[in-house]
Amino acid sequence: MKKSLALMSLLAVLAAAGCGSGDAGANTLSFLGPEDPKTFQPVIDGFEAEHPGVRIAYTQIPFDQLNSTLQQRLAAEDETIDVYTVDQPRVSALAARGFLADLSDWKDRVKQAALPAQYDVNEFRGKLWSVPIWTSDQFLFYNKTLLKQAGVTPPSSDPAERWTWERTVEAGRQAQARGGAQWALIPEQIEQYYQLQSLPESLGGGSGITGTDMLTPALTTEGWIKAMTWYRDLFAGGLAPRGVGSFQTSPLFTEGKVAFFAGGPWDVGTFGAAKDLDWGVAPYPYFEGGKQVTPTGSWSWGINPASKRQRLAREFLEYAALNPEGNLLTTKASPIIPANRAAFEKYVPTLDALAGEKSRGAGEILTYDADHTAVARPRSVGYIQFEDIMTKTFADIRNGADPKTRLEQAAREVTTAWAQLR
Amino acid sequence: MTTPPPTSTRLPTPTRPTTPRRARLADRPAAIALAFLAPALVALLVLRLLPAGIAFVSSLNHTSLLTGETYFVGLRNYATLFTDPTFLQSVRVTLLFSVIVNPLQIAAALALAVLFTRRFAGVRFLRVLVILPIAVPPAVSAAVWSVAYRPDGLLNSLLTVLGLPPQPFLTSPGQALWSLIVLLSWIGVGYWMMFLIAGLQDIPLSLYEAAAIDGASAWRRFWHVTLPLLRRPLAFVLVADTVANFLVFAPVQMLTNGGPEGSTNVTMYDIFTRAYTVGDLSLAQAEVMLLVLLVLAVVVVQFRLLRGKD
Amino acid sequence: MSRRLYTLLATVIGLAFALPLLWALSSSLRGGSEIFQHISRLSWETLVPASPTLANYGALATGAFGRAILNSLLVALVTVVAGLLISAAAAFGLSALRFRGQGALFAIVVLSFLIPFDAIAIPLATLFRDWDLTNTYAGLILPGLGHGLAIFLLRQFFLAIPGDLVEAARIDGLGWFGVFGRIYLPLSRPALVSAGLTLFIFQWQSYVWPLLIGTGTDHQLGPIALANMRGQFTIDYGQLFAGSIVLTVIPLLIILRFQRHFTQSIATTGLK
Repeated sequence: MKKSLALMSLLAVLAAAGCGSGDAGANTLSFLGPEDPKTFQPVIDGFEAEHPGVRIAYTQIPFDQLNSTLQQRLAAEDETIDVYTVDQPRVSALAARGFLADLSDWKDRVKQAALPAQYDVNEFRGKLWSVPIWTSDQFLFYNKTLLKQAGVTPPSSDPAERWTWERTVEAGRQAQARGGAQWALIPEQIEQYYQLQSLPESLGGGSGITGTDMLTPALTTEGWIKAMTWYRDLFAGGLAPRGVGSFQTSPLFTEGKVAFFAGGPWDVGTFGAAKDLDWGVAPYPYFEGGKQVTPTGSWSWGINPASKRQRLAREFLEYAALNPEGNLLTTKASPIIPANRAAFEKYVPTLDALAGEKSRGAGEILTYDADHTAVARPRSVGYIQFEDIMTKTFADIRNGADPKTRLEQAAREVTTAWAQLR
Repeated sequence: MTTPPPTSTRLPTPTRPTTPRRARLADRPAAIALAFLAPALVALLVLRLLPAGIAFVSSLNHTSLLTGETYFVGLRNYATLFTDPTFLQSVRVTLLFSVIVNPLQIAAALALAVLFTRRFAGVRFLRVLVILPIAVPPAVSAAVWSVAYRPDGLLNSLLTVLGLPPQPFLTSPGQALWSLIVLLSWIGVGYWMMFLIAGLQDIPLSLYEAAAIDGASAWRRFWHVTLPLLRRPLAFVLVADTVANFLVFAPVQMLTNGGPEGSTNVTMYDIFTRAYTVGDLSLAQAEVMLLVLLVLAVVVVQFRLLRGKD
Repeated sequence: MSRRLYTLLATVIGLAFALPLLWALSSSLRGGSEIFQHISRLSWETLVPASPTLANYGALATGAFGRAILNSLLVALVTVVAGLLISAAAAFGLSALRFRGQGALFAIVVLSFLIPFDAIAIPLATLFRDWDLTNTYAGLILPGLGHGLAIFLLRQFFLAIPGDLVEAARIDGLGWFGVFGRIYLPLSRPALVSAGLTLFIFQWQSYVWPLLIGTGTDHQLGPIALANMRGQFTIDYGQLFAGSIVLTVIPLLIILRFQRHFTQSIATTGLK
């Protein structure tokens, strides 16, 4: 009993201490996002140094709950949020609901400062709603040891010599047969639209959304069916594993079980840290006879219209997106690509050297992809519903569902979901 | 106890004083009872029923995600649901799931409760091991079980050791629901067992002794002494477990997303997706109302059946 | 059946229940890339790390996790104490006394736990915002207090308490509060422990609710700190498992502490 009393009093003290702190003053900007606080510490420090007396209070929300938390709190006009991170394909939906402050007076400045694929994603109905902070790209990582054992020449890092998916699968098959690889090819985000959009796009099948208001599904095109048939066969043929979630794919590569791995720049750091793993990086493949298409897009930042500190919030956004120095600081603690052109150019050499010899060529691929092959996710008010349905569709196709009937079902589901929007 | 020891193996129904006797004791029973009930009623009304009322009103409205406007649509959301194949399928999955999982969990919990009220070495510690999974954070039980169920995971390597063929588990529409039932029983059975243990402890040993003297077999003692006296805790477990299983969704969200091919899309998960992922609150609330009605119907039937046995 | 046979059977069952947790425990002692290495072929290394390290636990100490655990403890313990009092009083009102309208009140209790909390959390969060309860301990604690299931549970057990006991006590001049405090509560320890655990778990696993009412870092709870360890692009599984072991061990200690009350009951307190 004594112990519990001691514990209770300890907690009471804690409660008393907790109640006193944390009141936000007029010069404290509250900022919400899914990242570890360490990621944003450099940019926050940089901004606070330039604006004495201003404090940025960052709160991390778990990634899986971020969108729903924001949605509910913004709908309630919660003024305790000033600035928040916006998943780029959600800009339209958030803007339509009135959850983002209009930043249209920055249009020209953002157009000039950002990478080519990074302006449009922030626009909706002719207005600018958010500013691009990060972008992304996908590479083809390969396990040098496994390919060597199989006698396969690894792909070049030169974007002019980009491999096709067909050739990658064939080489992976050989690595399985002769090199001791457990798996031939694994796409990191194995059931995510972000990654898989590139497959039908490469075959000319489109993004899956069409129409002037971008509210008509187009999922049963020849390109989609062909791409998804290829995808199903990847798993049916034992080239890639079923039942492994997005977050469990990269450990498979780190453990040396995978010949080819389609992943992002964030993997460069993880793979570089793995001892005894010999790997290299090549451009993201495309389908034979098809277009070269690479996934892109990441996070923008926006301002809550209900915020009482609009001016300060704009200054923070300006620093983080338009000021190259500030934008570069957002990538200092985490290897993700800055969306600001000038920051990007400074960043490329660091990524190239991040894992020494192994990551060489990544910078060149990044630059080429940003200018030539990056295709952003479609801008539609209905993207959220679309993405949810597509994740389930990809999962079913991966588990062996017939691609054509499953895509037809997805199209029906999207139509039903979008009818609810109006 | 007021119950006389059973002289035969006939059911010893515990009796309780009749109402008038107790009513005489209280001066104004309603007022006194209300005083005891008041804090809880205020909490339930404000924290549960008031938001539920708001949710009901919201289920009669529609918010356009294109313009953000909200307007009254009457029962249209309900009509939409009844023509939505996803919702209809989720009801089928939910009913199938309930029919399997509830008897399974209650039988297992009862068997374990009987085992863990015996006296033997290590009983206390082993009992805690069985209760413990309820305390594991859902995100973690999902992480552990996803590794166990992976086609190249722990369970299949165990099957290989035993000389059995590997199974697809969560990747097959035929096995995913069963896999979830195993996982949910791992979490829940110990928890429900706990209430039954509490009930078993209340049964006076003298009743068993008397029955044993009468020469009743262990099975008859269980059937005629244990079960009837465990009636109230068992009623609680039956109702509470049924309700809990109607409202479960976290493992579905973390392990299967309702798939493969909708085979694990229980209604509560469908509601969670609509409310939290997609953000269509009105439709989600209409679905909540339908689910609550369904659960209510099942619970009313359960109470009727239980009263019938009284 | 002999006692030894019971021990054997119970050990097998106990181990089967503990196995997933043992794997999580061993994973929490491994380095990052090692966790999934031994799942495809069973060997002693599947459960025993070759070179155990406490690095994952060390990393927990530096982050916001410690503070979150203390917050969770505070919220859960206050909920258990206050919630048990409220629920037990209500259960007493629903079982010791008989009055007109009791059925209707009991129906409210039952109805309240049929409504999924996650579904009404959104409108409730809006109410809490109007009442200025965002980012406060009160905002985190209150939803745990209206717990219909705990009331239902306690009522079921209270109904088993013999009426003549109450009658005798009343004749001896004991008031209703005395009957509640001196007869009902002491006689229902196993049920109170179970109900307490139910209230505890509700708060200990609280996840969506604190996010909805906009809980800041200083009031953050354990499950959210745990979820925040998942990066957007990568997960540090070693740290995740270490955090989860901490989040599991605390209820484990509490259950062990209250175990003995399971064996105390009407039958053993000499009331016959």
